[in-house]
Amino acid sequence: MDQALIPEGLKRCPLPVFGLWVLVLLAIIGWGVYAGAVVLLQALNVTGLNDYFGFGFYITIDLAIIALGAGAFFSGFLYYALSRYFPALKELHKIINLAVIVGFVCYTGALAVLLLEIGQPLRGWFGYWHPNVHSMLTEVIFCISCYAIVLIIEYVPIVFENRKLDAIKSVHIFGHTLHELMAIFALTGTFLSFFHQGSLGGVAGVLFARPFAYRTGFFVWPWTFFLFILSAIASGPAFTALVCRAMEAVTRKKLVDRSVYELLARIVGGLLLFYIILKIIDTLYWGLVMAPEFGLSLADFYKAPYGMWLLIAEILICGVLPAIVLNIPQARKSDAIVFGAFFLTCTGIVINRFVMTIQAIAVPVMPFDRWQVYVPTVYEWAPGIAMLAYCVLVISLSYRYLPLFPREKQLNAT
Amino acid sequence: MVIDLDKCTGCMACSVACQAENNISFRVDETDKLRSITWMEIYKLENGKDYPEYQFTYLPRPCMHCDSPHHSPCTFVCPVNATTRDENNGIVTHIVPRCIGCRYCIVACPYHARDFNWWDPTWPKPMEQMLSPEVSTRMRGVVEKCTFCHQRLLKARTRAYHEGQDPNTVTYNPACADACPTKAITFGNLMDAQSDVAKLAKDPRAFRILAKLKTEPKVYYLSRYQWVHKLSDNA
Amino acid sequence: MSFSRRAFLFTAGAIGGTLFTPLPWKLVDDSAIWSQNWRWRPSPQRGEITKAPSICTLCDGGCGIQARLVDNKRAILIEGTPSHPVNRGGVCALGAAGLQFVYASYRISQPLKQTKKRGETAGFQPVSWDEALKEIGGKLNRLHTENRANSLAGIISNRPSSMADLWTQFFKSCGSPNLFRMPDHSDSLVLASSLMTGRASAPVFALERASYVLSFGASLLEGRDSFPRNQSAYAQWRQQGSGKLIQIESHCSLTAAKADRWIAAAPGSEAALALAIAHVLIKEKAYDADFMSNAVFGFEDWADVQGKARKGFKSYVLEACAPEQMAGITGVDPAMIREIAKEFATHKNALVIWGSGSASHPNNIYHDLAFMALNILKGNFKADGLMMIQPAIPLAPMPEVQLDAGAQSSLQKPRLDLAQAKNTLMAGNAVYPFLDAVVKGGIYPIEMLWVDECNPAHSLLEPQIFETALTKISTLVSFSSYMDETAQMADWILPAPTALERYDDVMGIPGAPFAYYAISAPVLPAPAGNRHAGDVVLSLAKAVGGNVQGSLPWPDFQSFLKARVAGLAESAKGAVAESADIQLGKLKPGESPKTNFTSGDKLWEKLVAGACWYDAPVDPMMSLATTSGKVELACQKLQATGLDAAQDTIYLPHYAPLAPSGSETEFPLLLVGYETQILSIQYLPNPPFLTKMLPDTLLKGNDLLVQVHPKTAQPLGLNEGDQAKIKTPQGELSVRVHLTPGSRPGVVYAAQGLGHEAYDEFIKGKGVNVNRITEVQLDPVTGLGTTWATRAQLVRA
Ligand SMILES: Nc1nc2c(c(=O)[nH]1)N[C@H]1C(S)=C(S)[C@@H](COP(=O)(O)OP(=O)(O)OC[C@H]3O[C@@H](n4cnc5c(=O)[nH]c(N)nc54)[C@H](O)[C@@H]3O)O[C@H]1N2
Ligand SMILES: Nc1nc2c(c(=O)[nH]1)N[C@H]1C(S)=C(S)[C@@H](COP(=O)(O)OP(=O)(O)OC[C@H]3O[C@@H](n4cnc5c(=O)[nH]c(N)nc54)[C@H](O)[C@@H]3O)O[C@H]1N2
Ligand code: SF4
Ligand code: SF4
Ligand code: SF4
Ligand code: SF4
Ligand code: SF4
Ligand SMILES: [Mo]
Repeated sequence: MDQALIPEGLKRCPLPVFGLWVLVLLAIIGWGVYAGAVVLLQALNVTGLNDYFGFGFYITIDLAIIALGAGAFFSGFLYYALSRYFPALKELHKIINLAVIVGFVCYTGALAVLLLEIGQPLRGWFGYWHPNVHSMLTEVIFCISCYAIVLIIEYVPIVFENRKLDAIKSVHIFGHTLHELMAIFALTGTFLSFFHQGSLGGVAGVLFARPFAYRTGFFVWPWTFFLFILSAIASGPAFTALVCRAMEAVTRKKLVDRSVYELLARIVGGLLLFYIILKIIDTLYWGLVMAPEFGLSLADFYKAPYGMWLLIAEILICGVLPAIVLNIPQARKSDAIVFGAFFLTCTGIVINRFVMTIQAIAVPVMPFDRWQVYVPTVYEWAPGIAMLAYCVLVISLSYRYLPLFPREKQLNAT
Repeated sequence: MVIDLDKCTGCMACSVACQAENNISFRVDETDKLRSITWMEIYKLENGKDYPEYQFTYLPRPCMHCDSPHHSPCTFVCPVNATTRDENNGIVTHIVPRCIGCRYCIVACPYHARDFNWWDPTWPKPMEQMLSPEVSTRMRGVVEKCTFCHQRLLKARTRAYHEGQDPNTVTYNPACADACPTKAITFGNLMDAQSDVAKLAKDPRAFRILAKLKTEPKVYYLSRYQWVHKLSDNA
Repeated sequence: MSFSRRAFLFTAGAIGGTLFTPLPWKLVDDSAIWSQNWRWRPSPQRGEITKAPSICTLCDGGCGIQARLVDNKRAILIEGTPSHPVNRGGVCALGAAGLQFVYASYRISQPLKQTKKRGETAGFQPVSWDEALKEIGGKLNRLHTENRANSLAGIISNRPSSMADLWTQFFKSCGSPNLFRMPDHSDSLVLASSLMTGRASAPVFALERASYVLSFGASLLEGRDSFPRNQSAYAQWRQQGSGKLIQIESHCSLTAAKADRWIAAAPGSEAALALAIAHVLIKEKAYDADFMSNAVFGFEDWADVQGKARKGFKSYVLEACAPEQMAGITGVDPAMIREIAKEFATHKNALVIWGSGSASHPNNIYHDLAFMALNILKGNFKADGLMMIQPAIPLAPMPEVQLDAGAQSSLQKPRLDLAQAKNTLMAGNAVYPFLDAVVKGGIYPIEMLWVDECNPAHSLLEPQIFETALTKISTLVSFSSYMDETAQMADWILPAPTALERYDDVMGIPGAPFAYYAISAPVLPAPAGNRHAGDVVLSLAKAVGGNVQGSLPWPDFQSFLKARVAGLAESAKGAVAESADIQLGKLKPGESPKTNFTSGDKLWEKLVAGACWYDAPVDPMMSLATTSGKVELACQKLQATGLDAAQDTIYLPHYAPLAPSGSETEFPLLLVGYETQILSIQYLPNPPFLTKMLPDTLLKGNDLLVQVHPKTAQPLGLNEGDQAKIKTPQGELSVRVHLTPGSRPGVVYAAQGLGHEAYDEFIKGKGVNVNRITEVQLDPVTGLGTTWATRAQLVRA
């Protein structure tokens, strides 16, 4: 029925099946939107947040999704900027559209959740009007919203490649014009993105009165600034690859050449190794030098349910382990190992974002404070899940109606 | 500000006076202490021993108006400059109509001096009559905290100006210090070496909370008990 | 292509151009405004801000206060008066929250008549004052003309004031002997003092001059009694390092925690410990021997009027009160007792103070006597000693009551409780025996009960007794400003204005040796529907007419107060305190200030402007009125009451605990109620400002948490915060437990003041009223309702 909209020569599932799928996603989104509306109308008291946990699920999922969405800018950076010097990177061309879309959904989704997070959403624009240049959050507000606009601009030409839209001449030319400018946008995006991935790290790192989060740094940027960039660029491509792999599994088609995954595995492996070494150094310095200066020891930072297992899971299991396997060429030959390692990488980054947000404030600072435990309510995870459903929805629609994968036709020619 | 914990009897008059002076809202159930708005929070510190060696003391905690170089922990992070430190008088103010309620400052403050308006502040109808016109009521979704009764400073300055005196040399007392029945709270200008607070801050009993964090709180405490000193910072 | 490039530029331009129109800017600006101006967010009206002085009467502390007013119409803040010598600008939390009573939603705005069943709030119908007074006056008239005024009873606040004197005058002139005050520690202190000194004035203490204070369970810092003075005395000890405070108490109360030393003794054993200390003093000859031999009767052995040889205090204490003998009772190491005794002996200005856990309960009279005895051993009754008796205020005395024949005949009938009681030797303010008599059906019925400024249905221990008594009384009239538990059960409510809207006075500060008098002038106009109880009494007296009117000749309450102040001026004693530098607490007997007022009018002017009148303490030895002419450690007066006991200790201060009822196997624990500084326990409920300050270890949601030691909780399977049931012979309550090492193992501590069933949602239903399961034990000598502990059982719920 919607054949006319589907890219030429590609096979898609029957419309009713797809419709059902969309309905399911819409139902989840509706549920989240309802929860979000309740938050906006009844105020944040419906959440599990309080004066001890000023940040919670919303910020955690935002930080995580933005890190995972980093595939967009980093792939773009590699492809548009570096492939001139490293031709091997040209392979990324095969997955760059998906990377952009993943980035687009992650960022726009995160922005929507961020709107719920602030107590006075109508004043969200104050960040532009009364900016505090010292605040990492000002940087975040600036960069994320600017980069979201960039991603929209990057996404639009992909949308315009739809068969029907592309048939309209002005749309075609408009899209084409944008396409010509894409490298500029990609590089602007890269700049913004590097910056705000860093600022997001800075959000925790500058809390100089919070020993768990605080880090010394370079110039105005705490080390977390750089660690967040590194971890984001390491995990972003891994996430894009995982999404692509998931799409392959769902559609039971090959969408990219295995060489792309292998390239990504090399990139992720290299970056992750670099990141995890720095992270370990950072952790050691923090635990053994900085904490004692504040009169604390590493053990003071971990208490059930926020136990030492978080540190082990984040650094060893989800950091060191994938970093090692992804750097072994033989291991990269196995799909199970590669995607397992990607998965661990992404999990590690999610744990990291959780730890830097929630555990950072669960740890008592005044000796007479009591440990507190944060339990998000349905009004927090419903919008979170809906945001994921929104991501899936946009990706599904894009996949169905847009020519995302240049090699799809060849790879599935039977 | 200097608070003498040896004199303080935890009577909470300071905190109640602060609520009245500053139009602090209250709710039917205030037992979720993590969501209760109290600018002057009264902590109970315990010596950790068992009966009958057990002992406790109360510790009233306003905002510390941190004097750390360049910025206070909270003012450093506020994305919209809703909370800033007035470098003339050292007061960390909070401009309520500008606050977007991101709560980053809550996360930044190690003293839990900041409270968020989780609900619309409402008063039983007759009690709206006792709201002070000198302090604006807050709205839901913004943060608030002790302002060192900033409005009293402004009033004192205005009076000084009208009386032809230098507004920059005025002294005033916040509501909590006024109310304290044991005169445990002394307020003044720490920069003026002759002031009572400056002298008390040098008392051997004096300490500050979390001195190791270098937040440079402008609230000093006095206690004759070593265990209290010990509890003021991580060892 | 060129067209489309234009389209591209156009789109970009349009987006850019919109930004230069006012539209988006207007919208964002509006959004900021909307976010501030929700219609439910009140904007306080501005206006001229002024200060009006007064005296706080929310408790008997006597603080000078100033209300901050906007346009003289509404009050926004209560502050202490800096120049007032009692509180020097300070207030307590309750005083600082005082406006929450003025602007309370549970205020009663006009007279109400219950038209349905008692207790049904829906049944209250507004009536006019004329109608209410006509009907109540009619009932009163009938009782009076039928010579049955004894069937009228009253329960009023225990705060000493001219209003209390007016009530006394009124009841007497009508012919009713049944007027009671809410119970107070001073009830037993007055009787103890009358035994020892012959004067019905409570002992008072010069805390400010003491360098060593041995406190036997006095709620010095958490209690409401004399709050500002106690706080500043405490602050002075700390400021100057001049006073050492030793607290003897079973748990780590606030006073214990703030003391220089806390000695944990078994609950109720404080008097035993005091006697053990007396033993050491006597044994070591470390007491004031001169004073004991010259000014004290009954220290040595003595002979009673029949000539029978009786043991004196010294022999009794030496025989029966050695630290080793008392160690088992008190749980305190004899060596520690000796150490404390030694410290007490060596400090020149050492003082003993005590309480019965809470200032609102009378104490066992022998225990009051024991603590007084320890002070006497120290010579504290000497001219410059630290214990004195409460001075009288030389106000214009109440005119002689003129009794008409009817009143005379009804007054011949004894007070209801006295007609009943066999054992009561001394007629004190025996509320409980009175209520018991009503319940059991006394020699005559009580037809009408008037309740003013108190809430017996909640704040009496075992308030069930009051509730049961009410079923036997056909008419309950409440003068409350608030819909409290008692008012809720009333048949009539004649609402008074609140404390800040009326004239009132403060007659002396409990426990303070100096004389103190102040007028509380209104800072806000009284609402039209409220009338001062004093004015109501005076108009009722006028309605009855005759001698009743003649005994209460004032046109209104304010004139009555003025007349009393005129008398004070005529006495030409004392002075008005005009500065905070006056050290009231340091005054010694004889150090009277120079009078600084010339006439009643001038004095009145100063007093309504918020100043207070004061005078030096009285020398207790100059006003002794005992048969021996000395301080009587052996209370001969008890024999005059008809007591002729075989045992000599009956006349002596001794340890005489009353065993709580119930079996120890069924109720293995003890329940002790305690007072906290942030819970109002008497007439006034807790205002929201204070309730906010309650820790979540005391109130969580609507649950009261009782404080128990982990060792008590563990065998019961109770963890922090667990739900539990506490059961005593008096009843059962649902609570939760807070485990704290400050509680004595085996004892359960429950805060008083919660569990209201009236008022508004900020008060009602929060916690439980521990008074309901607390046992009151009648003192066999005085008939006063005492309490120290109730046997209890705690089980998981
Ligand atoms: N000490 C002190 N001074 C201040 C301020 C402060 O906070 N403290 N705030 C400052 C600020 S922000 C402001 S905006 C100014 C406000 O200062 P003003 O503008 O003086 O404000 P008002 O006194 O409220 O109003 C002025 C007069 O306008 C009259 N009026 C009301 N409606 C009308 C009308 O329709 N027509 C006419 N002709 N008259 C009308 C009112 O009765 C009143 O007499 O005060 C400033 N001055
Ligand atoms: N009832 C009533 N409402 C009014 C008005 C009225 O007359 N009556 N007037 C209206 C008018 S005209 C105005 S302009 C608004 C004013 O409304 P607001 O601006 O809300 O008024 P304020 O309460 O004076 O000030 C806001 C906050 O700024 C803080 N503040 C004061 N000085 C400083 C400073 O130097 N630095 C910083 N960082 N903070 C400071 C104060 O502590 C206070 O928390 O009110 C409006 N609302
Ligand atoms: S105490 Fe907290 S709120 Fe106050 S200045 Fe310091 S960081 Fe800011
Ligand atoms: S909550 Fe308000 S004051 Fe705090 S950082 Fe955010 S905008 Fe600033
Ligand atoms: S200084 Fe003022 S605002 Fe701060 S705690 Fe004291 S009364 Fe409250
Ligand atoms: S008012 Fe004074 S004594 Fe009371 S809690 Fe506050 S500081 Fe302590
Ligand atoms: S202590 Fe008593 S008199 Fe003083 S302010 Fe408090 S309630 Fe009023
Ligand atoms: Mo204004």
